[in-house]
Amino acid sequence: MKLVTVPPPSGPPRRRPLGRTIGHVGLALTVAFAGLALGAGYWQVLRSADLTREPDNPVVIAAARNVVRGQIVDRDGKVLASNKRDENGEPYRVYADRAFSTVIGYASRQYGTAGLERSWNAELTGVSNGNPIGDILRKFQADPYDPQKVTLGISSALQQAAVKGLGGDRGAVVMIDPKTGEILALASTPTFDASAIANPATQDSGFAAVRDSSAKPLLTRATQGQYVPGSVFKVVTAIAGLGSGRITPATTFPEQPRAETAGLLVSGFRIHEHPGVPARSFNLMTATEWSSNIWFALAGLRTGGDNLAAVAARMGFGAPLAFDLPTSASQVTNPGGGGPGGFTDNVELANASYGQAETLVTPLQMALVAATVANDGTLMKPHLVIATAGRDGARRIGPAEFGRVIGPDEADAIAAAMQGAVESSIGRQFTSGAKVEGIPTAGKSGTAELGGSGAPHSWFIGFAPVDQPRVAIAVIVERGGRGGARAAPLAGDLMTLFFKLAGS
Amino acid sequence: MTAAAPSLPSILGPIRPRARWREAKLLVVVAATILVGSVSLELTRQVAVPGEATGLHPANPYHLAIYLGLLALAHVVLVLSGRRMDQILLPTVAMLGGISLLLMERLPRNLVVQTFGPWKLGLGDVQLAWLILSVSLATGLAVTVRSDRWLRLYKYTWAAAGVALLLATFVLGDEVNGQRLSLTLGPVSGQPSELLKVILVVFLAGYLSENRSLLVEESTKVGPISLPPLPFLAPMVAMWAIALGIVVVQRDLGAALLFFTVFLSLLYVATGRPGYVVVGVLLFLVGAFVMYQLVPNVRVRVDIWLDPFKDRSGSGYQVIQSLYAFARGGLLGTGLGAGLPTVNGNLPIPEVHTDFPLAALGEELGLVGIMAILGLFLVVIQRGLRIAASAADDFRAILAAGLALVIGTQAFIIAAGNLKLIPLTGITLPFISYGGSSLLVNGIIVGLLLALSDRGVEPPPPPRRPGRLARLTGRGQPVAARSARSRVPVRPDEGHPS
Amino acid sequence: MDPFLLTVWIVRLLFLGLLYLFLFRIARALVGDLRAAAREPGAELGRLVVVASPAGEPAEGTSLALDAIATIGRDVNNAVVVEDQFVSAEHAILTFRGRAWYVEDLESTNGTFVNGSPVEGVAPLGFGDIVQVGQVRLRLERPRSDPSRR
Repeated sequence: MKLVTVPPPSGPPRRRPLGRTIGHVGLALTVAFAGLALGAGYWQVLRSADLTREPDNPVVIAAARNVVRGQIVDRDGKVLASNKRDENGEPYRVYADRAFSTVIGYASRQYGTAGLERSWNAELTGVSNGNPIGDILRKFQADPYDPQKVTLGISSALQQAAVKGLGGDRGAVVMIDPKTGEILALASTPTFDASAIANPATQDSGFAAVRDSSAKPLLTRATQGQYVPGSVFKVVTAIAGLGSGRITPATTFPEQPRAETAGLLVSGFRIHEHPGVPARSFNLMTATEWSSNIWFALAGLRTGGDNLAAVAARMGFGAPLAFDLPTSASQVTNPGGGGPGGFTDNVELANASYGQAETLVTPLQMALVAATVANDGTLMKPHLVIATAGRDGARRIGPAEFGRVIGPDEADAIAAAMQGAVESSIGRQFTSGAKVEGIPTAGKSGTAELGGSGAPHSWFIGFAPVDQPRVAIAVIVERGGRGGARAAPLAGDLMTLFFKLAGS
Repeated sequence: MTAAAPSLPSILGPIRPRARWREAKLLVVVAATILVGSVSLELTRQVAVPGEATGLHPANPYHLAIYLGLLALAHVVLVLSGRRMDQILLPTVAMLGGISLLLMERLPRNLVVQTFGPWKLGLGDVQLAWLILSVSLATGLAVTVRSDRWLRLYKYTWAAAGVALLLATFVLGDEVNGQRLSLTLGPVSGQPSELLKVILVVFLAGYLSENRSLLVEESTKVGPISLPPLPFLAPMVAMWAIALGIVVVQRDLGAALLFFTVFLSLLYVATGRPGYVVVGVLLFLVGAFVMYQLVPNVRVRVDIWLDPFKDRSGSGYQVIQSLYAFARGGLLGTGLGAGLPTVNGNLPIPEVHTDFPLAALGEELGLVGIMAILGLFLVVIQRGLRIAASAADDFRAILAAGLALVIGTQAFIIAAGNLKLIPLTGITLPFISYGGSSLLVNGIIVGLLLALSDRGVEPPPPPRRPGRLARLTGRGQPVAARSARSRVPVRPDEGHPS
Repeated sequence: MDPFLLTVWIVRLLFLGLLYLFLFRIARALVGDLRAAAREPGAELGRLVVVASPAGEPAEGTSLALDAIATIGRDVNNAVVVEDQFVSAEHAILTFRGRAWYVEDLESTNGTFVNGSPVEGVAPLGFGDIVQVGQVRLRLERPRSDPSRR
């Protein structure tokens, strides 16, 4: 029997079945698991190819132990890296030429990989041949590895001449085909003996010699060295000025003649000309011939820091360049400045406009600046490897556009000014020896003052022939003196050799 | 005949076997899959590129036979028991266990070596032994548990046992890599947090089902915001504190995250109030922030998660290797046994058998295989929640939902950690990871879920209600409905035929 | 292509295929379950036949189709509206959970009885059982097409 009770004042508690909330929780978990599936899809499909090429991926390391690596050859087919077998029959790497050590690096059983041997490890060992479908199909073959022969755009003769030309000095040479972006020479000194590191018999002493050297040969100066550019940076200022429309080839500054003698007053600081420059008003052509610091400082101020940084960024400044080797970033100023373009103030901007202040560049970056002017204002993507070939076929790595920096008319004006800097009677005194005999040559020398005692860095960038350029070049000789002393003559010699090899 | 009576004869009377055709058919597919998998493994061993150290050893055919025999036996026992239990759960779990067995057969044997008298057991052997115990435990519980009183009535006892277990681990636990996870008592060693999660669910089921109406009805107003009743925030704060304690003392982020997530989910299941979840998530964020500032271990884990490539060969190594393994798998995988077991004699992924089985499976079975495994877990979750939704009362519903949530959440946490979706925490992937504690506790969960899925289980006792309190204290006066005060209340017809 | 390796790949893909076959069979079973449980919306899961109704509303002999959740009470919002003085506004609730019916008293003034015994909490309800609310007696009967007999 049941007692009769009063319901609680609030009424009976309504107890709903739990099915609804349980359904919500089930739905939430289903969504979470769908998220897992998406995550797996991201790593296993979208990122699969590039993660599987990473040099520290075990599949690449394992392949390196089991596979006879593909050869590396230069653009004429000359073998630069091949293989021998040790007494146990295990293969090891042999390198033909020291001049390539800073490009190709090494592949050692004990010390891993460096240089192209590292960045192209997946192709050289045959884990990947760059073709996603081919990579899948090879799973069905008994030997899953398809080591690729890798062809570089570098010419051995140019590379050797560049290393020889740098001689005992530290420095770098970058030569590039401005129309395709193929690298023709990429020299950095000092070089090292990569074969000694790769050979199991000498690997320990070979590696120790390189590791302990104060010259840091493993630092590839051409792509990783960050240098004060000096006057070669004036080409960047010209590109930015013309590209932003703030400057024309005819622009003159009425305040220039006075500033040439008394110094240019910027926010209370005086900027002085280098000696020997007449007190006149220049335009782009004459300013480039005379390498006038004052004109370019004024041009930079009129262009503005934001335009200077933005146009430079179109050529790759501000971030490491995408390239076959590790690269350092080039910069027009230190990151984090408060003013337009990241400059601290107008004093820094004015000094940066002729390549001092906080500007730092890599030789590769300056070669790209020259190539931009040479190729009518359009920059091609620089690349070392131009072809790979393996069991399952060959692949060409064709030209790709890096980006359009300025228009052809602006580029032509700068090219004409740079030709004046090499060929006019005034320009020649700063760039002696850069002229290629019989071929119109354009260029700009640079003398990067480092402060303190010591000689400045010697710089030159240029290209030839002026109307249909086939080669662009950047040369730096550390502590080499004025630009005309070391860099310009070496660039002239190397370009002359290029045209001799090309048979014209 | 009373409402509570019908189940008595089925307990005492003769047991009638009941066919489970759906389960039988699914188990046949499981057996076929595992057989094909082991053939695939053996063929892979034979085509391995000569000279390449694959680390593959001939798989033991007896292991497979024993496992499949065990599944058949479990099925027969369930049939003989005559109970009407879920028929999908066991095959699904058996499939996951089979995949685990294939994986452990394929990994280097010497990852785990245990010596029992004259036998020296390797990874595959030990995992098989745990699988046998786990499936036996599941089947045994499924057949024998016919009442939930032992769980329902002693919830505070269970809670006390859980806290004792936790404290014991805090104080007596073996410290490995700065984490205090396992407890050794005499010859037995195990990870108490595995058992703790079941105890937590049992306690929460008891507590929430009892206080559900209060948790739903009452609220505390803070300005315009309506919060849950203050006295019932206390357990939430306590749970939060316990989770933080686990992080601080044990450095066990995974267990803490698991406990707190399951707790919040069950609170929502019981109350249907999103406010609890909001408060809980806020508490979690505060706790996570404080822990990040104070506990170095937490900070390291989070930093690795944000950018593992910053320290490729150091702290980020494991996670990067896990991602590499997934990437190597691609869409279809390398095939069972064709992944990368060793490089330079080392495992590419340290602790692959406990913390990263999903990465190993991702490499060898590809995205397609990973999706299938995630699907299997979703099936387990769906069955658990379905059993919960059709349970006879709140206690059983919350219990079943909690058990399913434990498996689902745990699988999610470790899988997401492997895939770098959340910071990595060292918990096991249910049914697949190597580990005795994990397999045994998951066996218990499956057994309980199976038992709960039988509606012939003893009917739930009457819930205690607020109304009854008033009745017992005599505050209530007999009143008939509406204006019928003068009438005598209707009495049931005592002699009504049943 | 290496024929042996091709065989290996066929076996590997067969393994993945079997995993999906397994999932597919489960999915089919689950869909079947859902269909059986919920046929079309509003499909009946049981019937209440009015055995005794002194007040005449509902009339004796009436047969009422039941959804998964059916409340009984005097209030017009109930699934089964019972006009009887001794019945509370929300008196009892019948729920179909999974495969069986349960009855629960909603703290009614005069209680709910199954086959004469008072209902405490949730009580299972078999087909043929008599539910009594107030003076009204109702008998639970199988639906016309029985989904629980599978």
